[in-house]
Amino acid sequence: MSVTLDSPEQLPPAYRSTGGISRRAYRVLRRERAAQVGASIIVLLVFVALTAPILAPYPAQGRGVADVPARDLAPSWQHLFGTDHLGRDILSRVIFGARPALGVSLVVVLMAMLIGVPLGMIAGYRGGWLDETLMRITDLFLAFPPLLLAIVISALLGPSLYHAAIALVISWWPWYARLSRTVTQSLRQAPFIDAARVFGVREPVILARHVLRNSTTPILVQATVDLGTVILAVGALAFLGLASQPPLADWGLMVADGRETIQTEWWISTFPGIAIFVTVLGFNLLGDVLRDVLDPRSGS
Amino acid sequence: MSALLEIDDLRVDFSRDGRVTSHALRGVSLAVGVGEAVGVVGETGCGKTLTGLSVLRMLPDNAHATGRISFDGRNLLGLSPRELRSIRGGRISMVFQSPGTSFNPVFTVGHQIGLVASKHLGTGKKETERLVSETLHAVGLPNPDSVMRFYPHELSGGMLQRAMIAMAIICRPSLLIADEPTTALDVTIAQQILRLLRRLQREQGFGVFFISHDLDLVSDFCDRIAVLYAGRVIETGKAEELLRRPRHPYTRALLEALPGRAEPGASLPTVPGTVPTELDDAPGCPFAPRCPLVTELCRQERPPLVDVGSGHTAACHRSDDL
Repeated sequence: MSVTLDSPEQLPPAYRSTGGISRRAYRVLRRERAAQVGASIIVLLVFVALTAPILAPYPAQGRGVADVPARDLAPSWQHLFGTDHLGRDILSRVIFGARPALGVSLVVVLMAMLIGVPLGMIAGYRGGWLDETLMRITDLFLAFPPLLLAIVISALLGPSLYHAAIALVISWWPWYARLSRTVTQSLRQAPFIDAARVFGVREPVILARHVLRNSTTPILVQATVDLGTVILAVGALAFLGLASQPPLADWGLMVADGRETIQTEWWISTFPGIAIFVTVLGFNLLGDVLRDVLDPRSGS
Repeated sequence: MSALLEIDDLRVDFSRDGRVTSHALRGVSLAVGVGEAVGVVGETGCGKTLTGLSVLRMLPDNAHATGRISFDGRNLLGLSPRELRSIRGGRISMVFQSPGTSFNPVFTVGHQIGLVASKHLGTGKKETERLVSETLHAVGLPNPDSVMRFYPHELSGGMLQRAMIAMAIICRPSLLIADEPTTALDVTIAQQILRLLRRLQREQGFGVFFISHDLDLVSDFCDRIAVLYAGRVIETGKAEELLRRPRHPYTRALLEALPGRAEPGASLPTVPGTVPTELDDAPGCPFAPRCPLVTELCRQERPPLVDVGSGHTAACHRSDDL
């Protein structure tokens, strides 16, 4: 062989790593319209939820104080979104409604992840009878549509936001168990897992470092989209009277509130409905681009 | 040369639902001396990789190994998981066939190499970083300080294999198992990697267990060669001697099949037939059905591995006729 041997291969022309998460986030945000819209919606929503008492024109009404003489007013400069059957400013209530929506969906998704992901990882990594047992348990839950299951559970527990959250966690965790099991199973065979073992890494460390970090992308993408879905589900439960109870400002409850008079006082249901729609849209858009941000292999 | 690694009558069985489905290794005996490079060659399925994996106890769950693998006087097959972990990556390490998939894609290369160092050497953050940088430099990667911060997919196959070697030698092991380390690379890069391995071996004096199906490659690199066939060693000897005068028809057939030795224009000779996979040993030599020199004796009695002169051993009734 006449080539110069033992000379290192040439480096790629752009001799620079594509960098960490913040760099990728910046790049994706600069390039993708969907990312910009999704991120703006969510940032705005969080901001609104945090500053609701300052932002709302009628904070007391946002918390539920009635002003009966001013009821059923159409949108005007005084009440941008109009008022409801008890005379409360709908804009203020939509603003305050961001709090239970974000809070509950965040708690539900986090709890579902905390229960489902470790179980799924153990099932997928260990296999055998443990896997069989855990997966048959998830099958039990997955046999019912999640919303239906949540309705049944929260009806059994009695209507309250707290119970609705429990019901949603119970019907949501198996999806995370399934997802993380599938990801773990494909990773278990990966050569780099064997490599880690060859270099003396302990099994729990392999699970916690190598498997978990490699499953974060699909799981977090799923979680982001689920945040929206859970808001929708909480809304549905509230609409049915199975979650938040009056006078709490809850978008689902507010939509239900205006349901009977939607022909005449359309604003009562419409504005909270739009709030739900925009929020779900925001989480979905964000979930779509999150993959590019989390995965180092993307976008180089 | 004192033995660093001694494999004695290693047998590996695969079973399914409590029934043995195959005898993958049927009594492999091999030794690697301190600082010695031993090549293990053979066709696919003859047990090369399995032998390597057995040394690190990396066999799949449904495999069962018996026999003895002594390393530094200790039987590796009898170690507790804890003792095993301290040997893996520390005293014995491994370089894999496909560097592209042997690194975790979500961590930087330097981070992963550093983990091995800090685990086995107990080095602090600063020291680990310095050691990783030094080792990356030692394997011939330019600008090690910036290569460290690269993710695996940002490096070429050759660079990754160098990084893999860095990971394997960072704790100064006394034995390196190289499982076809150049198969995934193109020819020129493969030569560079082999040169690198040889240079490192000279400098650090570790023993090498080199698994390959390419006799040419192995003969370039190794002091001794062991030829495996159907789960058994059928010939061992000094590299140049084994190549000059193979004493087993299987080794000779492998040599004849090398592209470098064929006549230009003629089609490459192959070894006809396939490796036997039957569960139970048929009587006689396992190579008999494919052997051009087969006799009645070969079909009835399995030849033992015997010395055919100055440390050269072969398992063939007709080794004297070769």
